[in-house]
Amino acid sequence: MTDRPVAAATTARRGPGEAVVTGAAALSAYGRGTDVLLAGVLSGRPAFAPVQRFDVTRRRVGVAAAMPGDPALATELTRVVGEACDDACLTAGERARSALFLAVHDDPRMARAPRRDRHRFGTAALAAEVAAGGGLGGPGTRSYTSGCVAASTAIADAAALIARGRADRIVVAAGYLVESDQFALFDAGRVLADDGQVRPFSAGRRGLLLGDGAGAVVLEPDESARSRRAPVLARMAGWGRAGDAYHPCQPHPEGRGLTRAVMAALQRAGIAAQQLGYVNANGSGTRDGDPAEASALRVALGDAVATVPVSSTKSLHGQALEAAGVLELIVTLLAARKGMLPANAGFLEADGACRLNLVLGEAAPAVPQYAMSVNYAFGGANTALVLGLP
Amino acid sequence: MTRAAPIAPPGLAAMQAAAAAAGLAVSAAASWPEPDDDREVRPLAGFIVSTFSPLLAEVAERALGRRGEPPPGLVTALVIVTARGDVTSAADVAATVDAGGRVGPLMFFQAVPNTVVGYVAARWGLTGPLACVGDIGAGLDLARLLIEDADADEVLVVWADLAGTDQDRDQAAAVVVADAAGTKKEQPG
Repeated sequence: MTDRPVAAATTARRGPGEAVVTGAAALSAYGRGTDVLLAGVLSGRPAFAPVQRFDVTRRRVGVAAAMPGDPALATELTRVVGEACDDACLTAGERARSALFLAVHDDPRMARAPRRDRHRFGTAALAAEVAAGGGLGGPGTRSYTSGCVAASTAIADAAALIARGRADRIVVAAGYLVESDQFALFDAGRVLADDGQVRPFSAGRRGLLLGDGAGAVVLEPDESARSRRAPVLARMAGWGRAGDAYHPCQPHPEGRGLTRAVMAALQRAGIAAQQLGYVNANGSGTRDGDPAEASALRVALGDAVATVPVSSTKSLHGQALEAAGVLELIVTLLAARKGMLPANAGFLEADGACRLNLVLGEAAPAVPQYAMSVNYAFGGANTALVLGLP
Repeated sequence: MTRAAPIAPPGLAAMQAAAAAAGLAVSAAASWPEPDDDREVRPLAGFIVSTFSPLLAEVAERALGRRGEPPPGLVTALVIVTARGDVTSAADVAATVDAGGRVGPLMFFQAVPNTVVGYVAARWGLTGPLACVGDIGAGLDLARLLIEDADADEVLVVWADLAGTDQDRDQAAAVVVADAAGTKKEQPG
């Protein structure tokens, strides 16, 4: 006999505790800081511009959302970790007991190091370096490299561990800064929008554009936040992650895995879809990805899909790859707290395959009690994170 | 005279130890190279230049093939562990970019470990969460969490890291784990 029925994994469980977000920090093409990120996405003005950081003359597309100059990833990661810990009012002693979950593509210093030295540049080693730079010395520091769900998976895992009482405090940080190699790869894959705009869920969409993103959030048990009288920005109400089992790099056409990820997140949050006040969609702006995501949201949200406001802020700050999950969760958090939902920029006209209640034109006033951020990646990996707002 | 127990390769031994520490039972295991007969990693259609993705697929499918027929509805998660990822592809792309060249479109798809994960997941119907982490301890800890929270009934954890020098060999290992306390599903009836 077993103590679980077959297909028990369709019924998501969670530990009894609750993780809250007590600090956040971000970098984007709009600049350093959460204030400029929020102002940028609420302005409705996309941050895309011709790339100056490296040579793009041999590329099909030469546009990205990048801040000026050539910032170094390890330096910026250490900066956002410190700023998030400052935001959470953590003492040096509290930081020393906190772990770091770091989501990155790789250590950008590895590929051009002499072969004999490349072993020094693993992602776990980078996580240790960033943790040390931020004064984080707790057990369990680790790295995530699961493509565009790396950061959102790290956040889900951190929330789940805290809910289980297996971690005291986890800083989840992630970063991707637009650079020549990934840019060349995405250009070669012919997925970059050759009209210089990202148009999620719109007819006439022509692909994605890369964008700088680095961010960090501090997650800890709610009783820990209460006992040290820390400001609670939001609760990690629910999370879900699931696979498509469909194709190496195409999403399931009906978003099968994403549907299950969203349903698991809602179930863990203990809410009905009608209680969601905002969905920050993955919305890559690609031909096949957007209809699959819209289909998943229609199934998972049911009738509520007609009324829940949805936007993809990749239309504004670009695709931050391994950092997308943390950047977009922070956008979701900031927008919900401000009571203004960012618009889905670049929209031309409706695509019948992407029917959603999109925030179009300008940012819309709304005060969601619950907001969800959705991400998917190559390999059919899908995540959904639900924030509960105080 | 008693026969000495076979010694597990270092990566597999580390995974088995981490599984035991996490309270997980190993139902199948595989590694690369396995004694004597592993010389060249079998090529995998659509993946070029590097042995990284074929190596992950090889040990993943060996382990899945050894775990027996899963009961209907069993949900399997897939966790990849790699310290450095596909170093060969990353260095190849960097060299091409630095020489002012254009990279091939296939290199785009294999630029993240997710792609070969998706290949394995699609072939074996693995519908659980897919993740990639940087060390074996984190991989097995994540496997435990996914099982505890019913995101998966079992987890395939696959580790691979490419040779650092010409004197080294590529190494990989895989384990299929479930709750050691017996909550792994059995055939109904």
